[in-house]
Amino acid sequence: MDLDDFLFLLRGVPATLSISFLSFLIGFVIGFIIAIIKEQNIFGLKYVAEGYEKFLRGVPVLVIMLLFHFGFGGFIPIFKDPFTSATLALGLRSGAFQSQIFLGAINSVGRQQMMAALSVGLNRWQAFRHVILPQALIVALPGLGSEMALLIKDSSYSFILGVLDLTKHADILRRATRSFLFPYLAAAILYILITFPIANYLDKLGSKLKNKYGLR
Amino acid sequence: MGEVVLEGRGIKKWYGKLQVLKGIDIKIEKGKTKVIIGPSGSGKSTLLRILGLLEPPTEGNVLFKGRDVYAEKLDLNKIRAKIGFVFQEPSLFRHLTALDNVKLGLRHVLKLSEDEARRKALETLRIVHLEGWKDHYPAQLSGGQQQRVGIARALAMDPEIILFDEPTASLDIELTWEVIDTMRELAERGITMLVVTHEISFAKEVADEIIFMDDGMILEEGPPEKVLMNPKSERARVFLRRLLGV
Repeated sequence: MDLDDFLFLLRGVPATLSISFLSFLIGFVIGFIIAIIKEQNIFGLKYVAEGYEKFLRGVPVLVIMLLFHFGFGGFIPIFKDPFTSATLALGLRSGAFQSQIFLGAINSVGRQQMMAALSVGLNRWQAFRHVILPQALIVALPGLGSEMALLIKDSSYSFILGVLDLTKHADILRRATRSFLFPYLAAAILYILITFPIANYLDKLGSKLKNKYGLR
Repeated sequence: MGEVVLEGRGIKKWYGKLQVLKGIDIKIEKGKTKVIIGPSGSGKSTLLRILGLLEPPTEGNVLFKGRDVYAEKLDLNKIRAKIGFVFQEPSLFRHLTALDNVKLGLRHVLKLSEDEARRKALETLRIVHLEGWKDHYPAQLSGGQQQRVGIARALAMDPEIILFDEPTASLDIELTWEVIDTMRELAERGITMLVVTHEISFAKEVADEIIFMDDGMILEEGPPEKVLMNPKSERARVFLRRLLGV
């Protein structure tokens, strides 16, 4: 394996990163909404939210990807695109995990902060928005970092749908060079080089801010 | 008798099968300082939270400036803004500096502009002698300083009354004084206050009236010298003897 091969491998990184980041954002929005639905006890929707979590946490993400692309792709045009199917599958599943991260973080802020906010005259939404949420997001940072790392790694399943990500490029390289060891080894190292700094940064940032604000 | 700012009528509260308050009648007049003493578990904090509209009574009425808050379905947020509350537990917003803690309600409840809110918050921090600590986060302040920022946060809203729920209970003795002194200054400024405390010297010197509560009921009420020196009930006598160590 030479430099050209390595550069070829790098060409898979943008797809890996974009699937991971987009699915993280989708998961962030869904997770946030589910956490609020469960926290505010919005009746009826709470059970829908729980059903959603149970389903997406219980099914392998690869099965969801295959279901989206090959199953739904037959009649829903956007799922014909492998990139879209992979991103949505990861994003929807990530929502089911991020909701847990947010809910835990919101609960950790505690009732006393809510009571103090109400005593100043803020309404429940203002109290949530200005007092609970900013603290909860700090508490959630390390968990969000792990979730991001998980998404980067699990985005590798998308190569089965034909997405030209890092894993797919390693696979192509393996066929082209007939070297079975180095393409995958190089890909593995690249995955570590991408995931570790992101997860580590969010973890450190979370600890730093928690100390600064005296959060638990 | 002056204008009654806050009043509880026949307040009863159950938590499940446990009755914590057994029919409390209480009135706080404008400009007066009323102090509630009594053993822990007597329902003092619950009463304060109910009068602060932070939880509803099971039975009875809360009147703010003569209007029945729950019966008339008044906007609780609007009235809470006019009733300051200082808690026993650390309750500053942990992600905000001292200044921003005081500013939050000014900005989002009273809707003051950024400049006005800042000016008002600084002015209030000056009253509690903490303007030099405005950029510190709660975690960087002592327990006593945190309580004084909490007092400033309540005071900045120009409340009709401030309720204090054992504001010195979790503080060391030397930090207790700075909080007590701040409260004394507020009383001198004519701020209406209802204070739950075990600080008898504060009660003796500052209170216009003292209430002794036990077992969810008011057993004594009257001017300090009467309640502290010459209580009618045996329970108040026992409590005061222990508290004063005589």
